[in-house]
Amino acid sequence: MNANIEPDTLLAIDVGSVHTRASLFDVVEGRYRLVASGKALSTAGPPLFDVREGVRIALDELQAVTGRKLIDDTETLIMPVTGGGMGVDICVATGSAGPNLRAVLIGLMDDISLESGRRLAESTYLTMIEEIGLTDRRGEDEKLDSILRAKPDVLLVVGGTDGGAAASVLSMVDLVSLATGLMPDGDRPHVVFAGNRTLAAHVAERFTEATPVALTANVRPDLEQEDLAPARTRLAEVVSESRANKVAGYDELVQWSGGYMMQTADAFGRMIRYLSQVYDPAKGVLGIDLGGSHTTLAASFSGDLRLSVRSDMGLGASLPGLIQHTKLDSISRWLPEEISDADILNYVHNKASYPATIPAEKDELLLEFALAREIMRSSLRLARRGWPRKGNLRDSMLLPPMEPILAAGGILARAPHPGYTALAILDAFQPVGITTLVLDPHGLTSALGVAAGPAPMVSVQVLNSGNYVSLGTVVSPVGGGKLGRPVLNVRLDTEGEGEGMEGEVRAGQLVMLPLRLGESGRLTLRPEKDYDVGFGGPGKAGALRVSGGILGLIIDARGRPLILPQDPEARRELAGKWLWDIGVRE
Amino acid sequence: MAITYLPPVRHVLPLTTVRRTRELPAAGAVTVRVNEKVQAQDVLGEAEVSPKHFFLDLARGLGVPEIQVQKYLEKQTGDLVNADEIIAGPAGVARRTVRAPSDGRIISFAGGKVLFQVRGRKAEVKAGFPGLIIATDGVRRVTLETTGALIQGVWGNGKQDYGLMRMVGDGPRSRLQTRLMDIQLRGAVIVAGQCDHPAPLQQAGELSLRGLILGGMAAALIPMARGLPYPIVVLGGFGDFPISAPIFNLLASNAGREVAVEGRTPSSYEIYGPEVIIPLPSDHSVELPEDVIPLGPGVRVRILRAPLQGVVGEVREILPRAEEMPSGMLARTAVVSIEGSGPARVPLANLEVLG
Repeated sequence: MNANIEPDTLLAIDVGSVHTRASLFDVVEGRYRLVASGKALSTAGPPLFDVREGVRIALDELQAVTGRKLIDDTETLIMPVTGGGMGVDICVATGSAGPNLRAVLIGLMDDISLESGRRLAESTYLTMIEEIGLTDRRGEDEKLDSILRAKPDVLLVVGGTDGGAAASVLSMVDLVSLATGLMPDGDRPHVVFAGNRTLAAHVAERFTEATPVALTANVRPDLEQEDLAPARTRLAEVVSESRANKVAGYDELVQWSGGYMMQTADAFGRMIRYLSQVYDPAKGVLGIDLGGSHTTLAASFSGDLRLSVRSDMGLGASLPGLIQHTKLDSISRWLPEEISDADILNYVHNKASYPATIPAEKDELLLEFALAREIMRSSLRLARRGWPRKGNLRDSMLLPPMEPILAAGGILARAPHPGYTALAILDAFQPVGITTLVLDPHGLTSALGVAAGPAPMVSVQVLNSGNYVSLGTVVSPVGGGKLGRPVLNVRLDTEGEGEGMEGEVRAGQLVMLPLRLGESGRLTLRPEKDYDVGFGGPGKAGALRVSGGILGLIIDARGRPLILPQDPEARRELAGKWLWDIGVRE
Repeated sequence: MAITYLPPVRHVLPLTTVRRTRELPAAGAVTVRVNEKVQAQDVLGEAEVSPKHFFLDLARGLGVPEIQVQKYLEKQTGDLVNADEIIAGPAGVARRTVRAPSDGRIISFAGGKVLFQVRGRKAEVKAGFPGLIIATDGVRRVTLETTGALIQGVWGNGKQDYGLMRMVGDGPRSRLQTRLMDIQLRGAVIVAGQCDHPAPLQQAGELSLRGLILGGMAAALIPMARGLPYPIVVLGGFGDFPISAPIFNLLASNAGREVAVEGRTPSSYEIYGPEVIIPLPSDHSVELPEDVIPLGPGVRVRILRAPLQGVVGEVREILPRAEEMPSGMLARTAVVSIEGSGPARVPLANLEVLG
């Protein structure tokens, strides 16, 4: 690290749909650490419609906790640090608060360019209102009216491989141009062109200055290849700019951050992609950020990021959207006590009405985690359509090997016991083989994602600090077998301790072995012949060094995929037992 | 450590100034003037929305090559035309013409085609409650105000109306039932504790109700409620919610008056939500409601989550440290005095200000 260039003190501000958080990072004993955070309810919505008040309250709290003056008398951020130790060297910001932007997708083939366009749109805060493709049987005038009716903020145009289809793409662009020309000057949407890049100049010349046009790389440079990354970055910038115009106060954050402001989901994805470049290349990295209005699922495979933002599913205002993706009995199946469908539905809508509220009673906490499981499961199911396909059908039904799985946001970060979060992740994602569950309790991942620009050492060092919590290493054998049948023999030798422990794990069991946070051990696994723990195939044994976690070492032999009993009473009993197994219930 | 906490504020006020801005879906014509008094059903402005477009193929219609179309044009870009009026032609021996399919406007000519815009449907915006116009931009927005009681709710079905308010049942917990709804209620706005069955909602439609105000409603009824022709405002939440005592008393004391039921479906980023406005005369000027009320001792609050969901109380103090809830969660809490029972510790996140 070049100390002359790298800043010492960094402030990260995140404006979420429910909370605004200000986090202060500083150098402690030569390494960056999170010093403290301040939190307030976000003020992007009524009555203030200005994010600044929430930011100010969060900063007030941060100032009170640290005793460090950050804001001057004119309510401006003090930057850089003064001789008296006031202010910060650098500020970065992320934001997800604000209304989703309305989008229309225009492309050629449904299963090629439009499919890539959908995935691109899903990577940010867009709501798709309308789609127009080559096989659309509507007349040109009907298509034109459908664009106008949609009142889009963004018109996303895709189609044609590089050097490929030209006439059909330009015909679509002409339609878009005609539509924007019919819109009032102040209401013209951004046009993002991510199609045949050889047509870029022709596309640009079809629009007047009144229509902002962003030309970016083709999402489908050839038929076999999809490349969303450059277009995703450009689209995120457009969305950021458009939202800054819609929500007061974002412009000030852009100014404070010197341009280092990103959409929260984009910054989260950037961090997950970084992790996938430093962890085991044979495995992916999975990140989940469960917010109030959005759920972000980021999966990255050796730097190839697949980012999915579900604006129709979150544990707050968008919670009713979950009911479009799952059934009520899919939610109740995770509960150890009976709650009627009517009560679940009432809870969903009450929570949406008051997204900042927290479960004060135990049964509501359990229900909230059941909802969180289904949000994660549904988000994963939808996101996987855009993941690279590998292996046979059985493999494609299971989660690809991931190391680590990182969880952030809302109830996952604030659980009264880490077992709630760990069990919810295991139930929802059903990881296979050996992985680590990591919790981001302070909501830092997006902040580090954007900080990687101006201060990369902050991201690297905080990531490896105690600000992230390892819930534990998880071993999830894959294989078939009746309940109670032996699955594997496990031996754990904790470093620095005398005798190790050894035992047999049977199908259906969820076993916790003690390996505390900060401890390491040698784990030896000898699976039965038809069980695979990730050592190269079924029955293959192996040993590896594992790190401890707040829950210890978890052996999840409940089966992949996890099959729950049909009988509701037996299912509830089992759900209760698993809570007991993981240490939540005593 | 002293903290500032800005909880959501829901207005429940016996007398305030209610100021609302009505907005046309597109630029059009405002038909009222500043300082004009309006009634609830008065139209404030009109606009043309969702005009349709047609491509008319002139070359084909006239039977001439595309490059010759220009010389047969009878209209120019931007011209308004009436239905059946000639746009191009006559051409050729058969004296073929292309006529306007309806009243509309010529948008452009290109490639032997004309883009023709048909007039859209007319949208109008009504006052919603009797009041005084205090501002307008002349083309889209009108702001009016009145004095009266204001009760903001949690959910609405997207409809709006105005009518005489009647109480149904025997108190804030009363369940809306068909046997309580007779012909005497025709055309009224009715208030009931809660509704958990579709039959009363159906019957309310048959009685041509002007509105329904509920403390609680089963969430399963939302799809049906959205399709009903009359407005519904839910004041407390979904499920077994009575009408909170101070709100019930305010409604009951105004029974027999005309009320505006504005059943807007709430949205995180919309300025107005569902509400009931009861216009009341005032011989003195009345303050506008405070939209931002920091939480602190003496502030009236409603508890939003179990075990005291829906209960109204008053903040006695905000505790300096986070407390553990029965769920095990740590939360900043306030001590809330509740009439008729002892003080309760409630997470700040689970409070809204009634102000």
